[in-house]
Amino acid sequence: MKYFKETLYDAVCQEYRVDKLYFESKTEHQHLMIFHNAMLGRVMTLDGIVQTTEADEFIYHEMLAHVPMLAHGQAKRVLIIGGGDGGMLREVVKHPIAHVTQVEIDQSVVDMAIEYLPKHSNGAYNDARLNLVIDDGFNFVNTFAASDNEKFDVIISDSTDPIGPGEVLFSDDFYRLAKACLKSDGIMVTQNGVPFFQADEVQNTQTRMGALYRDMRFYCAPIPTYYGGFMTFAWGTDNTSASAPDAADLNHRFEALALETRYYNPAIHTASFALPQYIHKAIESA
Amino acid sequence: MTQTSENQIDTRPLLTGDTVSADEAQAAAELYRELISQHGSPLLVFDANVLREQFRSLQAALPKVELYYAVKAHPDANIIKVIDELGGGFDIASAGEMDLLLDHQVSGRRTIHTHPIKKDQEIRDALRFGATTFVVDNFHELKKLVNYRSRVGVLLRVSFRSASAKVDLSKKFGCSPDEVLALVEQAEQLGIHIKGLSFHVGSQVEDASKHVEAIHACRQLMSQINRQAEKPLSVLDIGGGFPADYELAGFSINTFCAPIRNALAELPSDWHLIAEPGRYLIAPAVTSITSIAGKSQRNGFAWYYLDDGIYGSYSGQLFDHATYPLQVFRGGQTAASIIAGPTCDSIDIVAENIMLPSLEIGDLVVGHQMGAYTAATKTRFNSLPDAKLVVLNASARVD
Repeated sequence: MKYFKETLYDAVCQEYRVDKLYFESKTEHQHLMIFHNAMLGRVMTLDGIVQTTEADEFIYHEMLAHVPMLAHGQAKRVLIIGGGDGGMLREVVKHPIAHVTQVEIDQSVVDMAIEYLPKHSNGAYNDARLNLVIDDGFNFVNTFAASDNEKFDVIISDSTDPIGPGEVLFSDDFYRLAKACLKSDGIMVTQNGVPFFQADEVQNTQTRMGALYRDMRFYCAPIPTYYGGFMTFAWGTDNTSASAPDAADLNHRFEALALETRYYNPAIHTASFALPQYIHKAIESA
Repeated sequence: MTQTSENQIDTRPLLTGDTVSADEAQAAAELYRELISQHGSPLLVFDANVLREQFRSLQAALPKVELYYAVKAHPDANIIKVIDELGGGFDIASAGEMDLLLDHQVSGRRTIHTHPIKKDQEIRDALRFGATTFVVDNFHELKKLVNYRSRVGVLLRVSFRSASAKVDLSKKFGCSPDEVLALVEQAEQLGIHIKGLSFHVGSQVEDASKHVEAIHACRQLMSQINRQAEKPLSVLDIGGGFPADYELAGFSINTFCAPIRNALAELPSDWHLIAEPGRYLIAPAVTSITSIAGKSQRNGFAWYYLDDGIYGSYSGQLFDHATYPLQVFRGGQTAASIIAGPTCDSIDIVAENIMLPSLEIGDLVVGHQMGAYTAATKTRFNSLPDAKLVVLNASARVD
């Protein structure tokens, strides 16, 4: 395959030149590829859809990790669902946490990412605070919710598309069980698609997660290779002040961490909760 | 139909030592014997150059039409490889067919999913494979696509009743033309984009008059919709129906397609035209080679028992109502004969009351035009092994 054509939409598609194919695996119903593209670096695709590229992954990972972490301010225990490429873990371990559990359904995804997308995890899989669990994310929250284990301050759902292996991570039951794994002032965030093309995803999450939290909203960031403008992230918490932290506090936390970010900063953090009208309207019609 | 009564003489084209020049027959027989000694019997011999020739001829006859090979006609990796190399697309109808394409790294972008009736899981599988074009013919099927409406483009399959023919052109699938406007409106309300119409005149049609009628009707429907619709319809899928030359009569695809070309020329030039040929492309590219495993004289007929039959490569004589030209390599006086398949079932008869020269055990019996809907519908009855597919000219000719 000399060109990769994304198959996300019928009427439009983005095309990538495949400069070097590093990895390809085809199982019964799953097709994963990692290749190099001159403009985007290494690109990982799953079932014909771009999952992550070295060039722009920082926007996605910084925004899905640092916004809840810095809004919380004192997160010690973090749960990542999915995120096998390791980029989310890399950003989470930059915080002074005590513990992070990452639940990935497939060990081979982790192994493959360490080998072929090494910049994503950048050594984070060796972090002593990590408990890597190979399990279905739904199964994990189901078991954890019923256990006496200490709950999490922040849960990050870094899933694939709802059509595919990540399907169950967009279900009512998953959101309910995930909340049962969260401390009372904890924050849960999830990747939620590109509403310019996929308004249904925002509406579904609004209905499902919105029923569970006192404060459920979306924030957004544009990730170039998630074609279509802003990607939304769902935000659910019973701590109603968490989405609007005091600006001075946020600045102080950011500076204290000395985070070297390329997209995230406190001003972006605050601004990312401002949504364009078309997204508001999509949410309202849920 | 194949299953003629014992009184009727089977009049299919029959090549014998008397009808084919000795040199020609000998060259063919030598090649087939060589293949049998190498690979065993029975065989299906796929000549990739014949497929290349068929594809180019059809493309030349319908230059503005994108060809999507109907994988169901013969779902085989070697055939897919050649279509892929020719730049063709693929018409698929099941997860199994998608797996075959995935194995060959064909992008879902080059496929259309044409089964009008689908389970939700099949839609999801197709999307994960990368197919985004789906075909529907009723409201129930439209509703199934609501969850995926941001991703899909839909063709509405229309079934036309021909004024000249009394038979339905499409019996099992397709909405009637007077339902089209309502379905397009309903789709719009559901947020699903109907991007065009498709039709199927049936398989192995005698001439293109039904294609032409359907193209005219679709043109009217699409133009009528496009006068008001916010999102214009722009795709017309003219299906298949392009015949194989089972009569060995020297069929010309260019002549057959001339009226279709004329009808298509009247359409707006920005419409996307696609077709789903299967039979025409692959039928002549595959030849069946069987060996006579036994013979006897029963009730006044010479019986020859082959090592392949109705439950195997000749299944199309039952399911597809096809009759394949046969070839034997002996001449001389002919006698009323019966060619039977290898299973214990009495339905397993390839040719009944056919006038054959006297044949011997070990002789080859060759079936021509056997690429489409032959191996595709074979069964495993009697647990007999499949005819192995052997490829000739796998690499493209360098001219």
